[in-house]
Amino acid sequence: MIAASHLIRRFGSRIAVNDLSLEIRKSEIVALLGPNGAGKTTTLRMLAGLIAPSSGTVTIDGVELTRVTGSALRARIGFLTEAPGLWDRLTVRENLAIYAELYALAGPDRVIDRMLETLELADRATTRTGELSKGMRQKVTLARALLHNPPILLLDEPTSGLDPEVTRTVRRLLADRRAAGCAILVSTHNLDEAERMADRVAVLQERLIAVGPPAALRQRLTTGRVLVRVMGNPASLLKVARKFDRDATIDGPALAIQMVEERRIPALVSALVEAGGEILEVRQEMPALEDVYMHLVNEHGLTARPEPRADK
Amino acid sequence: MRRVRALLAKEFLDLRRNRAALVPVAMITVLSIAIPFAVVVGIPAATGQSLGDDPGLQRLSAVVGSEYELSPNGRIELFLFQQFLMLFILTPITGAMSLAAHAVIGEKQTRTLEPMLATPITTLELLVAKVLGALLPTLAISVVGLVLYFVLIAAVSDVGVFRAMLSVRSAILVLVLGPAAALVALQGALVISSRVNDPRTAQQFAVLLIMPLAAALVGQFVGRMWMSVAFLAFVGLGLFGVWVLLTLLSVALFERESILTRWR
Repeated sequence: MIAASHLIRRFGSRIAVNDLSLEIRKSEIVALLGPNGAGKTTTLRMLAGLIAPSSGTVTIDGVELTRVTGSALRARIGFLTEAPGLWDRLTVRENLAIYAELYALAGPDRVIDRMLETLELADRATTRTGELSKGMRQKVTLARALLHNPPILLLDEPTSGLDPEVTRTVRRLLADRRAAGCAILVSTHNLDEAERMADRVAVLQERLIAVGPPAALRQRLTTGRVLVRVMGNPASLLKVARKFDRDATIDGPALAIQMVEERRIPALVSALVEAGGEILEVRQEMPALEDVYMHLVNEHGLTARPEPRADK
Repeated sequence: MRRVRALLAKEFLDLRRNRAALVPVAMITVLSIAIPFAVVVGIPAATGQSLGDDPGLQRLSAVVGSEYELSPNGRIELFLFQQFLMLFILTPITGAMSLAAHAVIGEKQTRTLEPMLATPITTLELLVAKVLGALLPTLAISVVGLVLYFVLIAAVSDVGVFRAMLSVRSAILVLVLGPAAALVALQGALVISSRVNDPRTAQQFAVLLIMPLAAALVGQFVGRMWMSVAFLAFVGLGLFGVWVLLTLLSVALFERESILTRWR
């Protein structure tokens, strides 16, 4: 639905984004991860048509985003900026009404009412946005990005600094949008959020250093260890376990066994049961997404750098 | 057009909630009304001397009103009211320029520019809305002031002066030169606003735009020049042309990505 092909963006002599190719498909949420200064916001801005790439292309449904096509294609994108950017002296409804007109929506009042209901903002419709809490402002910002029902959503840290309740509302809303066929790219520092929400995770540090489903990325760093939690003391089963791995150990209430071949796990379980073991849980040891992220980032010798922009 | 209207609605709502922003325009308008009447009515009343007794003013005022049967005093009043009419039309622009100078850099500073630029709005639409957003409230205040100016002239001036003020020259000043000068000044201020990093810088540069107009006014006051009807019409139309060019220039100079990425 929206695709970046070999995007490069330079600011003077510095390269902010280097050779980034990424496609976000219909009904998909992709989480864009990366340390500060990794080029996440620059990438989102290029995809939103706000800044032009130094080279490479952005296409939306096959149409290249250019100065000529920009105005029409931007109508298909909902862009949530990192800062709310609301007109503080205007009410929630007035803010949304201006944007409804900018997007030339038919029946704007009806659309706004529906959006206010969806985001539980109806009782704040006549409140000036300058008087709202951060969470409420973020909801209004999200309402603004979703107002024209765009098929593509680009969201820069949508849940940053929000309380768990609002965060859950945002996640639910994004899941709904995905179900409705939206292609969604979410920039975030929150790895838990990425794991919960995203179909794929893209790790960026100037270049795209990894892309894939969270589970597949975690699989990359899997140790191959199987943890078998048993009733009682696992020490009595260590002898059986060592038939499969000479270095099997006891890890708390579980046996930790290195299994080179995954297909041998059922045989291990049978052997333990035959030896009188009462098995409570068998699971492969998987690293957390955070560990994968840190590994990838460190592997590429990455350090935080300031973004080339005013508002960070 | 719908997007221009939308942004204009935003500008007016914002101004309605922040009326203090219009105070400079209103104050300049009030002063522009008060000064001519202080000169034409207040000073003669305070000194006990009629304007018609001043040979210098008699000489300067010879350029106006020859087609009307006016007393020497009335002719001087007509001369002064004509001069101040020009001042009256042009000075509120200086107040409006602070609005225009703040238009782009202000949106940037409050971080409202980026989401707006992410919509389908074109640069031309944005800039036209910003100019009209500063111009229309100013014009509204000016029109009220203008009505008051003419009502007061009718009330206090010599016989025939009010009628003489209702001339083609006044009409060109009010309908052509004033709006054209305002458009040029505001568009210029907007160009500056989209190229600088600080509203104060924008405002200071913008005020410079009024200097040529001030020079022309002073030239008239001291009798070094007198702008005829034809000349005023020519200048007014020329200014409309300059405004069109400035609009095109401001679109060309408005670099979305520089504004978003380089401003600090």
